[in-house]
Amino acid sequence: MESQQIADNAAAVLAFDAVGKAYAAPSGEQRHVLHDVSFAAPAGRRIAIVGRSGSGKSTLLHLAAGIDVPTRGDVRVMGRSLAEMSETARTTLRRDHVGLVFQFFYLMPHLSVHDNVALPALIAGDKPRQFEPRVAQLLDRVGLSDRAHERVQKLSGGEMQRVAICRALLRRPHLLLADEPTGNLDDENGWRVMELMLSLVAEEGGTLIFVTHSREVSGLADEVWRLHSGVLSPHAEAEAPAAPQPS
Amino acid sequence: MKRAAIALLILAVLNPAAANDWKRAQPDYAWSFPRDHWAHAGYKTEWWYFTGHLQAEDGRRFGYQFTFFRVGVLPAAPHTDSAWTARDLIMGHAAVSDLDRNDHRFSEVIYRAIPLLGGFGAWSQRASEASLPLIAWSRAPAGTPGKWRLAWNGSGFDFDMRDDAQALSFSLSTRPGKPLIFQGPNGFSRKTQSGSGASLYYSFTRLQTSGQLSLDGQTWQVSGESWMDKEFFTSVLSPHQLGWDWFSLQLDDRREVMLFLLRREDGIIDFASGTVVHPDGSTTYLDGSAFTVTSQARWQSPHTEGVYPSRWRLTIPREQLDLEIVVEMADQENRSRLIGTLHYWEGAVRLLQNRLPVGKGYVELTGYGTSSRPAL
Amino acid sequence: MMRRYFVTAMAAHLRTGGSLYLLTILGVALGVAAVLSIQIINRNAIAAFAGSVKAVSGEAALSVLGYTPSFPEDLYPRVLSTPGVQAAWPLWRAAVALSGRDDGMLDLIGVDFFTPVDIPWQGEPGDPAAALSQPGWVALTPLLAEQMGWRVGDAFTVSRGSRLVRLTVGALVDFHALNPLASPKLAVMDIAQAQSLFGDAGAIHQIDIKLAAGADTAAMRTRLQEHLGPAVRVVTPEQREAQAKGLLSAFQLNLTALSLISLFVGVFLVYSSTQAALVRRREEFGLLRSLGATRRQVFALIITEVGLLGGLGAALGLPLGYGVAQANVRVVSATLSNLYLLEEIARLEMTTWLYALGIVIGVGGAVVGALLPALDMARRDTRALLSAFTLHETVGSLALRLFALGVALPLTAAVWYGLHGRHWQHAGFVLAVVLLFTLPLLTPLLVRELCARIRVRGFGLGYSLKGLGVRLQTTSVAVASLAVAVSMLIGITLMIGSFRQTLSVWIGTSIQADVYIAPASWRGTGSDGGLEPHVMATATSHPAVQAVDRLRRFHGYTGGRRISISGVEMDLAPGRSRFPFLPGALPNPYGAMRERRGVFVGETLARKAGVWVGDTLPIHTPIGVQRFPIAAVYYDYSAGDGAAAMDLRTMTQAFGPGPVSSTALYLRPGTDVAAVVEELQAALPDAPLEIRSNRRLREEVLAIFDQTFAITRLLQFMSLLIAVCGIALMLLVLAREQVSELALCRSLGARGRQLFGVFVGKGLSMGVMGLALGSVGGVLLAGLLIYVINRAYFGWTIQPYVDWGLIAQQAATILGAAVLASLYPALRARQTSAVALSRDDL
Repeated sequence: MESQQIADNAAAVLAFDAVGKAYAAPSGEQRHVLHDVSFAAPAGRRIAIVGRSGSGKSTLLHLAAGIDVPTRGDVRVMGRSLAEMSETARTTLRRDHVGLVFQFFYLMPHLSVHDNVALPALIAGDKPRQFEPRVAQLLDRVGLSDRAHERVQKLSGGEMQRVAICRALLRRPHLLLADEPTGNLDDENGWRVMELMLSLVAEEGGTLIFVTHSREVSGLADEVWRLHSGVLSPHAEAEAPAAPQPS
Repeated sequence: MKRAAIALLILAVLNPAAANDWKRAQPDYAWSFPRDHWAHAGYKTEWWYFTGHLQAEDGRRFGYQFTFFRVGVLPAAPHTDSAWTARDLIMGHAAVSDLDRNDHRFSEVIYRAIPLLGGFGAWSQRASEASLPLIAWSRAPAGTPGKWRLAWNGSGFDFDMRDDAQALSFSLSTRPGKPLIFQGPNGFSRKTQSGSGASLYYSFTRLQTSGQLSLDGQTWQVSGESWMDKEFFTSVLSPHQLGWDWFSLQLDDRREVMLFLLRREDGIIDFASGTVVHPDGSTTYLDGSAFTVTSQARWQSPHTEGVYPSRWRLTIPREQLDLEIVVEMADQENRSRLIGTLHYWEGAVRLLQNRLPVGKGYVELTGYGTSSRPAL
Repeated sequence: MMRRYFVTAMAAHLRTGGSLYLLTILGVALGVAAVLSIQIINRNAIAAFAGSVKAVSGEAALSVLGYTPSFPEDLYPRVLSTPGVQAAWPLWRAAVALSGRDDGMLDLIGVDFFTPVDIPWQGEPGDPAAALSQPGWVALTPLLAEQMGWRVGDAFTVSRGSRLVRLTVGALVDFHALNPLASPKLAVMDIAQAQSLFGDAGAIHQIDIKLAAGADTAAMRTRLQEHLGPAVRVVTPEQREAQAKGLLSAFQLNLTALSLISLFVGVFLVYSSTQAALVRRREEFGLLRSLGATRRQVFALIITEVGLLGGLGAALGLPLGYGVAQANVRVVSATLSNLYLLEEIARLEMTTWLYALGIVIGVGGAVVGALLPALDMARRDTRALLSAFTLHETVGSLALRLFALGVALPLTAAVWYGLHGRHWQHAGFVLAVVLLFTLPLLTPLLVRELCARIRVRGFGLGYSLKGLGVRLQTTSVAVASLAVAVSMLIGITLMIGSFRQTLSVWIGTSIQADVYIAPASWRGTGSDGGLEPHVMATATSHPAVQAVDRLRRFHGYTGGRRISISGVEMDLAPGRSRFPFLPGALPNPYGAMRERRGVFVGETLARKAGVWVGDTLPIHTPIGVQRFPIAAVYYDYSAGDGAAAMDLRTMTQAFGPGPVSSTALYLRPGTDVAAVVEELQAALPDAPLEIRSNRRLREEVLAIFDQTFAITRLLQFMSLLIAVCGIALMLLVLAREQVSELALCRSLGARGRQLFGVFVGKGLSMGVMGLALGSVGGVLLAGLLIYVINRAYFGWTIQPYVDWGLIAQQAATILGAAVLASLYPALRARQTSAVALSRDDL
């Protein structure tokens, strides 16, 4: 059982081993945001994390992306332990294997639609002939080919999030993390964005973990986990989770 | 002594080392006239001093003073190639007392004795009487055109001055009413008991005087009688002598009296001497014991706060003289504008004996008030 | 205003946001220092002149001065006899060189101690007998005596012309007691000794006059002028001061203008730092507003805070400005005495006026700089201030409007100049100001358009540049201030370079002889002492000498202008010229000079006085104004009101005989010049002469030129320093403002090093933009300086010349400085963590 789980975890795109995270409050006390979170997300799964505001959802995503490091336990991405890696190595890992989608889109206002999508490739130093077809493909896929050279400020919210999704998927990440991707969109646009993201992830074969507080949206996932006061548990209404074994 | 109180502050610091280079008054000086009316280079100080009483045709009475001083700076001229090269200064003082209007005017000049500004002529044997050179001259005070002049006219002296700022000018001509006399044997006038301080000194005690006098734009033909003193010397005052009272008196009986009293700082008379000139021109020299001068009233200058005697009783028993000397005007104080610390009283007096007028004169009072110690 | 809140908040901000405050203070301090240092020097230059005038002639209501260097002493009795004069005293004056000291001059005054001249003796008064009789007796200021280590009784040697004179310290005169700014180099001696020792019998230089109480100064001036005739002029102390001011006005105005540019750039710095500080604190202001603070209160809060910072900046700028002035006073003073023959500045005095000026421009500059950001902040509504800061910030149409203004302004100015301005002396400065205002106006749109057109091909320079377009308000201010500083740097560099090149070419024509001999006391055109006949004889009889030029030079007057007048006698081979003529000279100018009393007029004078070939030049001579036909106009680069040259015989006829001031020797071809110079020095041992080879004289002329512009370079440097601070500040602001953007890049996988690179790239980009814009401005400014301003103020023709090497070097320096300025902000940017992206959203 023990070895089985480790093997599962090793095969997982993302695994948390007894992860805890605490911040120092201004008063000097430790504020515990996550308690002993363990799970493994196998390749190709679409997982929704639900929970109330302040339950630690974003922290969990930050830890998954290697943006932040746990106070206790270990996070592994593609089987590599982040705890053992330098900040630069974590950054490179994120650059090459993780895509991020944010609630507020976070597009560069001074860049065009095309340039925003291409930004990860620019940062990674990819050659244009490598990424240009991919940018075109993605934009085509989300229906924004004809607006590639417009400034992003002219886009609607839904369009912006589609650009953000293209950006996140540009370098074919194994893991796509989305933090309330529909949180800033109306219902109709939210649905369309979610459907688009889910189908794109499915086409590309990646793993998706997204945070949401919307019951409808979470219903689109393969599994739904619930985060409550820093403790992660499988959601009652979702199918039985395959791997996570809350300890 | 004398006359003139010249406290040239600027000369108070005359180089003492050079004092030996100056000539000193000697009892056996060989006089020669008219040459000796001119300047005597080599002595440190020399003056030509005229005082007198004048009356205009309309009866207005004036007292006047006219003086040129030669102030030796160097015993010999330095060898500098410049028109400003000088060894002497020329200083002129002139004053008029408008006796009926109680008004005293004082005017002065001081210049380097150089051809540009003033100087002292030299007597020349070859010169004719008519073209004898000036004895002394200077530029008029700043702001006034022309010159001040003193010249020998063959028997007496002509002199003139002008000061537009004081609205004052006069031009007078004199001729002797009595001959020249020496003040002291052979003109050797002691100023100290020991004779260490002395001058060479002669006088014309009665000069018939006539000419013009202008005051505030009004001009008078004037005439009267003057007294002329000529003195030259290198040092007279001893260190503890502060000043002097000097009297020149012309009695109606054609006698004249000259007296001087040198005071110490404590007011005690340190040395006194005098001369009586008799109607025939003969002289009697008086030592300090031969006369008494008693101050009987005082006057304080509102300008300098100097307190001057203003009335005296003079007795010369041997001459049966017992005179009251009364100032014609209280304020006949000369206050220099060019040399801030210099002031002295020089004024017309009248003589009374038994309350009757018996003559006139001039009195000079120096060393009264603050910082007025004469330097000469 | 919320005073207590103000104090608490300010203290807190000082702790946390120190660098922004520091830059505001620094910007103000540097601006204040630049303006103040120049004002200190300018004011003290005039004060030094006025101080010496007051110390020497303090009692005088009028002074008689010559139209030629000296005048006959027999005018003195004429002054004395003029009604209304209360007292008058003559002065003989000369600048004499202290032997064995390169820079030592003595302002020697010969006086008649028996006039009412006020001599401020220190301690015992001088002994007039010694003053008259002890050869060389002189009274010095205690300051100079102390400086030279002399005591009463010590002897030293001075020279005037080729004449050496031994002087003995006889007493001390403390002119400082009469006026604290009096030159310590004033010295007093007897007038007879002075005339005699320096061979100047019959001549005096000044008569000071005290008027009788109640005399009307103006009427007395007229009366004296009539009484004294045409050889002299009668002036009041105010007129003398005004004349000195007039002489210096162009020089001082130029320095003032340059220092104001530094201030201008400093105000930009305040603007951007205030802007930055306020952006950081928008939530604070939003909160204050939501808690009931009025717009007025918010505005007052900001302005007070900035005013306080301005005050701190001024407090820093005052000592800094004084230090800068102190460090440069020697050079400027040397320039003033070299070029304008005025008193050296002995010491600097900080007057209340100067303190007030420092504080006013410090606080005022800061408030002006903060006005727009403060108004903007106060105007915003509470909700906008409180809403989360997003990456979306719309760039308004302001850039376009400013650009339109930036086009209209110079066009209007150009039209104005064409119609009216070119007849007005100060028009050039108006154009320069317009130019410097135009640059910032054009900047926002240009930056925006440039950034918009950049194709981003990687996460490098292109990306850096692209990012600059967003914070247009901040970026364009930094770029604009750099552009202004660069314009000034390039403009002035071009002007000075062109001037220097023009001067070298001019020297080629003017300095042709092999050996030049001038007295040590003849600094520039200073003294009326000359070469004695035996010196001339020795010099010209050297066997290698083939031809000799003689030059007699002094200061004279044409109308009210003080000019340098030269009398020349030239062994001129046919067809050769010593004067570089402007086109339009008479066919045979040298013939006209020799045979028809013709004069050559320097370009400076020709332009200022509006005379040309064919006109006559009226010159004051001892017998009145004489007119001389102008045979040619020559290129002339002297300062002041200009120069004219005539034949030496003409000069002797017009002004009377006088000594030769300097001589030029032409040697036989093939002669070893250095050897001849040495032989001449050996033949004239101890003579107080400067015997220079052609090469050395050229070098010295250029050295004086460089010295003249030393202060200009300093001001350039200060502007650049302020501008570079602006870049650092701007990047710091970006590092703070763009935390989200940086964090996003981090979350997309950008490494710290990459962000560092991006920031250095931003610095470099701004450097490049500032440089590009500034270069355009600089070329235009150089054109204005060369063709308009210099002509109007100095009357010089300067041939444009570009020293590309120097320009490249300066460009590299600017870019280097920009990169340097971006290092610290880049380090901060590098440390940005991806966590910063959405911590607030947790």
